[in-house]
Amino acid sequence: MQASRARLFKEYKEVQREKVADPDIQLVCDDSNIFKWTALIKGPSETPYEGGVFQLAFSVPEQYPLQPPQVRFLTKIFHPNVHFKTGEICLDILKNAWSPAWTLQSVCRAIIALMAHPEPDSPLNCDSGNLLRSGDVRGFQSMAKMYTRLAAMPKKG
Amino acid sequence: MDSEDDMHDANDVDSYEEDYYSGDAMYSEDEDDAGYEFLHNDSDDSDDVLVSRQQKNYTILKEDDILQRQEDDITTICSVLSISRDSACMLLRRYNWNVSNVHEAWFANEDKVRKAVGLLDKTEFKPPKAGELPCGICFESYPLDKTSSAACGHPFCNTCWTAYISTSINDGPGCLTLRCPIPSCGAAVGVNMVNMLTSDEDKKKYRRYLLRSYIEDNRKTKWCPAPGCDFAIEFDLGSGSYDVTCHCSYSFCWNCTEEAHRPVDCETVSKWIMKNSAESENMNWILANSKPCPKCKRPIEKNQGCMHMTCNPPCKYEFCWLCLGQWSDHGERTGGFYACNRYESAKQEGAYDESERRREMAKNSLERYTHYYERWATNQSSRQKALADLHQMQTVHLAKLSEKQCQPETQLKFIIEAWLQIVECRRVLKWTYAYGYYLPEHELAKRQFFEYLQGEAEAGLERLHQCAEKELHTYLNDDASQDAFNNFRTKLAGLTSVTRNYFENLVRALENGLSDVDAHGASSKTSSSKNAAGTSKSKGTKGKGSNKVGTTSRTDDSTGWACDQCTYMNPKNATSCQMCNNGR
Repeated sequence: MQASRARLFKEYKEVQREKVADPDIQLVCDDSNIFKWTALIKGPSETPYEGGVFQLAFSVPEQYPLQPPQVRFLTKIFHPNVHFKTGEICLDILKNAWSPAWTLQSVCRAIIALMAHPEPDSPLNCDSGNLLRSGDVRGFQSMAKMYTRLAAMPKKG
Repeated sequence: MDSEDDMHDANDVDSYEEDYYSGDAMYSEDEDDAGYEFLHNDSDDSDDVLVSRQQKNYTILKEDDILQRQEDDITTICSVLSISRDSACMLLRRYNWNVSNVHEAWFANEDKVRKAVGLLDKTEFKPPKAGELPCGICFESYPLDKTSSAACGHPFCNTCWTAYISTSINDGPGCLTLRCPIPSCGAAVGVNMVNMLTSDEDKKKYRRYLLRSYIEDNRKTKWCPAPGCDFAIEFDLGSGSYDVTCHCSYSFCWNCTEEAHRPVDCETVSKWIMKNSAESENMNWILANSKPCPKCKRPIEKNQGCMHMTCNPPCKYEFCWLCLGQWSDHGERTGGFYACNRYESAKQEGAYDESERRREMAKNSLERYTHYYERWATNQSSRQKALADLHQMQTVHLAKLSEKQCQPETQLKFIIEAWLQIVECRRVLKWTYAYGYYLPEHELAKRQFFEYLQGEAEAGLERLHQCAEKELHTYLNDDASQDAFNNFRTKLAGLTSVTRNYFENLVRALENGLSDVDAHGASSKTSSSKNAAGTSKSKGTKGKGSNKVGTTSRTDDSTGWACDQCTYMNPKNATSCQMCNNGR
């Protein structure tokens, strides 16, 4: 408990410093609970998510950093490795490939990388995975772009 | 009197007993059982067969043996590759504890192997000579002596290392391939660091995983599957029979780790076991405890109440449980609601035969399975019982008998051997029922031959069992004469040996897929001079009296003729079959 708190506090201070360094990620700690975080990440360019801003929710276990944090998308996203309803993310470093040297910041970076490079062979969102697996890249991109526009972009007017 | 008689006299116990007592030392090891060698796949000399059977093609390893071997292997790798014990251990684990594979891979491409296992030959991170270092996990700074690192040099504080390694150990055997926490690094964390940094309990768990890995990752070793048994078996691959018997006395098949199942092959066993779990509990129960509704045919269990049954909606058919007739027909005129006399009278008149017969037909396939399953299960429980009896014999009766007959226990070994044989026979017999179930229905000749062999085997075993159990009891309780007891010894030892031979031949025949039924030419060898004697009395025919077995071609063999009924290859001059008495 103490160790995880101390570590999260270090990360908190680090985030304050790095804010400028990485404009794609904005990590915010919950005001009353250091084990709850949210992040806003920008959709990577040259992907159907470009121009969108996606919100992530972090729930950090007490054994952190020996155990990985739980992360899910709060913003709806059409992506083979993200559950369409719950926002759950299927990413190895959040499961068995976790290492205590990862930080919340680096997890965000890994998720941005996952958005740019989906893994259609182990899909949580089968519709999306099937589009990619059948080679219908255009179909996938237009669906993903539509949901980005619907859910991840500020409404105009 | 010749020994050939008794296996074929299965149905005639009296005459057999008589033969037995009149005989003197009939069963010497080397010329006993030509008559039972119904298939001569191997040599004529049963002694050879026995010896080769008993040669062990496996070694049983205790925990100490395993550790010793592990140490030896590590030492070998250490000295040949000039690397640390720690590295040698990780290398071996990576290559499934196969020393020659490690050598091969290492000398083929050392760099590649080092990378795959995580053995770095230079550090990636050079720590400063003095000052403090930030821990990569808790991000605090520590003096040098409070931090550790794997071969890569990435520093983490000792507290974080302990927690990191401990978490991994408690996650399972994956801890054996633990790497430096820096994701891109990959330097291996070996047993040295584990010993340096973790609690005694975690060290113990880690050593346990290492030991298990030595057995489980190695292609040549497996743990004994018996519950609570700590022995492992090392098996010489490609060396015949898979049956192994652990020191804990559990026998199992090394290939599929099910219990020993000769003569049936592993595939059949897994099919059979699957079938049992899928059907025995469901279909057998349904068969035994339910009747189908006469209208909608759903099976109905009657677990309480009167004979007036009402089927579930939507059927709602009302009928009588006894006669399955419509309930509205029941009343005063049929003898009252609760006594369906109609069933009785109808049965007497035979009016229900037709419908009953149809029900039988529908159930037939299931009954076929039930037939084999029941016998399989019965032999299983008989085997358990025999094991218990054997134990009782070893612990209680043997000492008592030794006292009564004034003989040292070492001279009573023949009794234990008899019981061991009984246990083994039950096991074989049990699996012959799985074998029978999967024997194709249309191969009539094989089926008949198989059933004949099985029947003989059962009869032979019954005799042995009877002798070892009932007859022995008389000597346990009364002061029988020395002579009588010696006769008993001869008889039981003889029966044991005869039964052993019979079963070994049975196992071999079944393992060959009863190929002699097809290739009857091969069985011509059996017409040795020994067979010619003393089988005229045989009456153990179990054939169903049909003549569908291949008929014509058998007679023109110059060395003899094959019986149509039991396929036995008779000498040319015999006019009726020496096995089953069937006319030529």
